[in-house]
Amino acid sequence: MEREGYIGDPGIATALYLSREMRRPLLIEGDAGVGKTEIAKVLARLLDTELIRLQCYEGLDVATALYEWNYQRQMLRLRLAEGEGKSAGEIEDLIFGREYLLERPLLRAITRPTKAPVLLIDEIDRADDGFEAFLLEVLSDFQVTIPEIGTIRAEHVPHVVLTSNRTREIGDALRRRCLYLYLDHPTLEKEVRILTLRVPQAGARLSAEVGRFVQALRGRRLHKTPGVAESLDWAQALVRLGNDHLDREAVEETLGCLLKDKNDLTDLSGAALDETLAMATSASGSAG
Amino acid sequence: MNAAAQAAPEPGPGPFGTDNWAGHLARFGRALRGRGVRVALSDEADGLEALTCADLSDRDEVYRALLVAFKIRPHQRAIFDELFERFWALPAAPRRASRALGQTVRKRSAGAHPAAEAVEVDAASPSGEDVGYSPDAVLRKKPFDECAPEDLAAMESLIARLALRLATRRSRRLVPTAKRGVADLRRSFRRALAHGGEFLSLARRARPLEQPRLVVLCDTSGSMDPHVRFLLQFVVALGRVAKKSEIFAFNTSLVRITPLLGPKTLSPGLIQATLARLARQVPDWSGGTRIGECLRDFVDRHLGAQVDHRTVVLIFSDGLDRGDVAPVAEAMRALSDRARAILWLNPLAGDARYEPSARAMAAAMPYVSRLLPAHNLESLERLVPLMSL
Repeated sequence: MEREGYIGDPGIATALYLSREMRRPLLIEGDAGVGKTEIAKVLARLLDTELIRLQCYEGLDVATALYEWNYQRQMLRLRLAEGEGKSAGEIEDLIFGREYLLERPLLRAITRPTKAPVLLIDEIDRADDGFEAFLLEVLSDFQVTIPEIGTIRAEHVPHVVLTSNRTREIGDALRRRCLYLYLDHPTLEKEVRILTLRVPQAGARLSAEVGRFVQALRGRRLHKTPGVAESLDWAQALVRLGNDHLDREAVEETLGCLLKDKNDLTDLSGAALDETLAMATSASGSAG
Repeated sequence: MNAAAQAAPEPGPGPFGTDNWAGHLARFGRALRGRGVRVALSDEADGLEALTCADLSDRDEVYRALLVAFKIRPHQRAIFDELFERFWALPAAPRRASRALGQTVRKRSAGAHPAAEAVEVDAASPSGEDVGYSPDAVLRKKPFDECAPEDLAAMESLIARLALRLATRRSRRLVPTAKRGVADLRRSFRRALAHGGEFLSLARRARPLEQPRLVVLCDTSGSMDPHVRFLLQFVVALGRVAKKSEIFAFNTSLVRITPLLGPKTLSPGLIQATLARLARQVPDWSGGTRIGECLRDFVDRHLGAQVDHRTVVLIFSDGLDRGDVAPVAEAMRALSDRARAILWLNPLAGDARYEPSARAMAAAMPYVSRLLPAHNLESLERLVPLMSL
């Protein structure tokens, strides 16, 4: 996994391994920015296969998730067929063929001809309960029935990864159907390794200080706790501005990469900022 | 993962001093259930399957595999860890240890029974009157005054308007409709085929009406006394028009009173009887308030089941509190993360000079969608459009 730019831990590896072996979807929960989506991407690279992503939102319906007909093409074909004097039955067979079907992520995931893709169903907690129930059906049979065509069965059962930010509880039925992994914010050691791997320009000192600063921030009560994604952004911003260590000025200029809530930014100014900064720089200051 | 996996179901002492993996797993599952972690039979089956994939000589891998297969959520982790320690002794453990382990299990599950029962009893008593009764709290119970007839009449018209407004939030989903809406090409096309390809009429889709869910938290402490009768009446009315509503009373402890406020409660005579009954059944009615603890209690016990992204949470309270305010902010934050909106109705806010400066009120303010007065019928009327935010 490290080769693919992801610092995992045995917990993640075991979960992915079991999900593959047992052919069960993996439900990953955790705060925003802990790297849930990244896991699916890395899995796709590891298996050298396609990643199909379905982003959930409130009001997501079957037409967007599963399939839709290409009406414009159907309509053109219809007019042509009329000119040719075909019967209604013939026309119907013609325009409800596979080539007029627009595959949406779920259908695409089960019709890949060569290799099982990774199907990422992102932020399932945002979709409504109805969609969850529908998903449950697809995930247990991996087959889809389109009235005009018939039942389409998965050629290769996709590797399914679902993520949730826990803005609402996922139904028990879906939870039972999946294997479950809870992702927490990384430890300091792991976060520094991630920073070193993903932002190699940052150098050892900056990576360590950024890691400690972010860890110290997570200990505070914030409205939006920064995730790994934020600390990576921040490290990148610091590097762009030519910093090789943290100081007050640099932090104040770039804190917007890390804290994305006005109240948090206000809270973390003055003494609180100095204190956090001191925690981040104390160890490396003495070292060099 | 390797040969050990295939060896798992075979008889003979396994690496953890057990030779019956399925039985051991079942006992482990039962012990978890005894501690309130919901592990279904299907999860145990998953666990067994996961173990056949795992390297059984690696205890950490067994731990991680079971964590994933049993779907252990973060708040259940501590119990899982504790029981795992007990059930999955170190590989070095000799045969004798397994028998000792078995006994521990039996003792453990026997010991766990009262806890399990307690959980079930708690869940089975929907009104939860028996929880959180504090004997040192001053128990003051008094009958409520007769409702003024004109209040009730005004209330009736308000309710009618309320019912209408509440039923006006539109869902974002599109469903087929016979009336106005956006064109539904899929169905239009199907229809056109029936007429030889002529689009005689377009099928349409529209956003259906969505009735919100309501959760009402009503402060029944002494300082709220003059308002409580009025507000509860209003709450009962709300309960009739909302798709789903849950009503909780709180002062020094939180009590679910939905079951006590039946659909027939609204007729004038019954309201009084109901309120009198409430005063008898709710501990510490008209006593002091501990808003923070009550809100936290709500978050712990009811948040998951009662509040979702469609729920509007109404809090009736003057925010005068004698408890710790730190939990107030904590609980309000958890609430605001989940609910569609939090409306705080404060009888004191009717005064133009009112500032939300009471400690508990100030702590809650950042998470409140709207702070509204609730001192007369007019102020409640203004609430109506906000309910369908």
